Amino acid sequence: MWKFKIGFACFLVLMLVVAASAAGTIVLWYPSGEITSLALLFHEEGLFSDFEMENDCKVELVAQDYDFMQQKIFTALASGKNVPDILFIDQSWVPGFLKEEALEQVPEADAKDWLEAVDPVTREASDYGEGVMYAYPQYGADIYGLTWNKDYFAEAGLDPEIPPKDWEEFRDYGIKTSKKDEAGNITRVGYAIRHLGQPHGVVHKFLWALWSAGADLVTDPKALRGGEAAFNNEGGRSAAKLVWDMIYTDKSTSLDFPDPRTCLLQGLASMQISETISIQTRQPVEAPNLKWGMSMPPPKEEGSESATNYNPWVYVVPKASQNKELAWKAIKWINSKEKDYQFCMKYRMTPRYKENWEREPLASDPYIVALRAMIPYARPYPNNLGLNGVMEALGSALQKIWHNESSIEDALNEAERLANKAIEEAAQ
Amino acid sequence: MIAFSVLEFKLRKTFARHKATIRAYLFIAPLVISFVIFRLYPSLQTLSYSFFNVELLKQKITWVGLKNFLALWEDEIFLISFKNTLKYCLYMVLISTIFGLVLATLLKAQSKLNSFFKAVYFSPYITSTVASAMVWWWLYNPQFGLFNAIMKLFHIPSQPWLNSTKQALMAIIIFSIWKIVGYNIIVFVAGLQAIPKVYYEAALIDGAGPITSFFRITLPLLMPTTAFILIYNTILAFQVFDQVFVLTGGGPAHASTVMVLEIYQQAFLKYRFGYASAMSAILFSCILLVTILQYILSERKEVVY
Repeated sequence: MWKFKIGFACFLVLMLVVAASAAGTIVLWYPSGEITSLALLFHEEGLFSDFEMENDCKVELVAQDYDFMQQKIFTALASGKNVPDILFIDQSWVPGFLKEEALEQVPEADAKDWLEAVDPVTREASDYGEGVMYAYPQYGADIYGLTWNKDYFAEAGLDPEIPPKDWEEFRDYGIKTSKKDEAGNITRVGYAIRHLGQPHGVVHKFLWALWSAGADLVTDPKALRGGEAAFNNEGGRSAAKLVWDMIYTDKSTSLDFPDPRTCLLQGLASMQISETISIQTRQPVEAPNLKWGMSMPPPKEEGSESATNYNPWVYVVPKASQNKELAWKAIKWINSKEKDYQFCMKYRMTPRYKENWEREPLASDPYIVALRAMIPYARPYPNNLGLNGVMEALGSALQKIWHNESSIEDALNEAERLANKAIEEAAQ
Repeated sequence: MIAFSVLEFKLRKTFARHKATIRAYLFIAPLVISFVIFRLYPSLQTLSYSFFNVELLKQKITWVGLKNFLALWEDEIFLISFKNTLKYCLYMVLISTIFGLVLATLLKAQSKLNSFFKAVYFSPYITSTVASAMVWWWLYNPQFGLFNAIMKLFHIPSQPWLNSTKQALMAIIIFSIWKIVGYNIIVFVAGLQAIPKVYYEAALIDGAGPITSFFRITLPLLMPTTAFILIYNTILAFQVFDQVFVLTGGGPAHASTVMVLEIYQQAFLKYRFGYASAMSAILFSCILLVTILQYILSERKEVVY
């Protein structure tokens, strides 16, 4: 009899422990691997321990494979089982989730406070129209910039500190800094282009050219619905032709070097345009001897305005979450002004709060100062719910153009048709 | 009371007579039940979804009739994937079958190394497709890959392989042939061993050479095995996904996209479940049609000596 009593007591204790651990647990999903250095934060020991103590809860951090993360999120939301409370995702995914009405809106008061406290670019990336927020952008502006190998510039007789000032010079630098073997095969490209993989990725690394040529993805970037494709014009065609010319006319680049960042780090490319944060994080480990420069991508003409993309990672809360209030509390806590400053100091990243930009050592860090000069020209992605379809259409067109499968006019005409269809369907 | 006893007696008698049958059905019941739950029911559900606009996150299902099917014929990417799948199927099935048969015929000869070669050819079949595709991705790398390095030794220009719209699909086909040929060999070897030696002896006496024997004896008598290989490989080929996903992701510029990959992208990246279901229905119909055709054709060619 006493064995039964002890057993029952143990069972009760076990049930209580399970119940206690289940109560007040919020789950945060983030992408694993090296897909973004901004996720390094979640490897910190006791990242949320103060929050957990203050709120008598547990924050469970779950790494997901980036390549399947969207599908896993979708499956969890559709089934209603194991729904994460917080998602740390690429901002370009947000329109797709908004289209499915899957995301919770940030509480109005919190949104107002945030938008007033942060810098203009973060504000623009956060605002989905009339002060409505669905996501909090992470610190560390993921700005696309031109990065170049200073030694290769010097080798070609160019000033290693000065980037090309316009597209003409960009092409010229590409020719001068590329290298060929005896058989005429390119062994080092002047400028490495991204042309493989998901069409979205191709567009990410092309937007600087599209924008500086006066074109865009959609006509009204802030609107969630409506508008139409804005890339099938003289600007869009000239941007696509720029890269085409570098491949087939100048022969200073090639389709055989499809990973621009890796090519720069491995010495296979003299220039590339993509996330500066990635080079900043990877270079000390993968290419410690690389001397590299960073600047805005070149404008179309000298003196005209340059533009580039700002693609933050964001925190969102799904509508299907069972702990929305606690989830928003945790997001606010991890994105507070003090935390912003603390993490930016630790990881050498750009802050979001206006005040933190002026605090040392952030105010005088060379990398952060360089990014600060670039940030005014950075644009977030459009909010349009049909963005996925637009980027898919344009990305596929660019691949066809650069692979010589189609003329620029035909490819962009077709892409415009598909993009407008996606916008129209998303608006319904 | 008596009537009840008579009924009971009749029931017991029926049960005793059919005891073996009932026992047999009970044994296969778990398999049948799991087949119904995990295969039949989802297939029927997918077929039904193809007539609806399915928005799972919004919990909305709207009847659209044949709209999804009609939209498919205007979807350029679906048509490209359909064409690529047919091309992939044709090349992969034919070449892997021919290679399998030739190698199996060579392995029929008695040799101490037969087992070793069988193991070597069969091992790709049992390795994980994803893992081996990742290795081949590196083999195909234009700068660092082994294939281009070997070509360089023979002064052949480096090839873009997976980076080229013209070569990407063929590169995947080559991988797939390497992966499946071992299985074909093993099945063909079993088929060849089942052919009685007496036919070859009779042919030898009649003055037939090895090539004549092959075309007049081996090939006809191997028809059931060949039919099985063709049907099995065709079904596999239509369902290709893993290696395409890993090696190229369907690119560049949709040059290597296939139907199952397109279904996956429509369903899980664009959340268009109804549309993806319609594609699945088309794929199923194609596989069924080709399988039936192959079966009918192979029956006609079958011989008995």
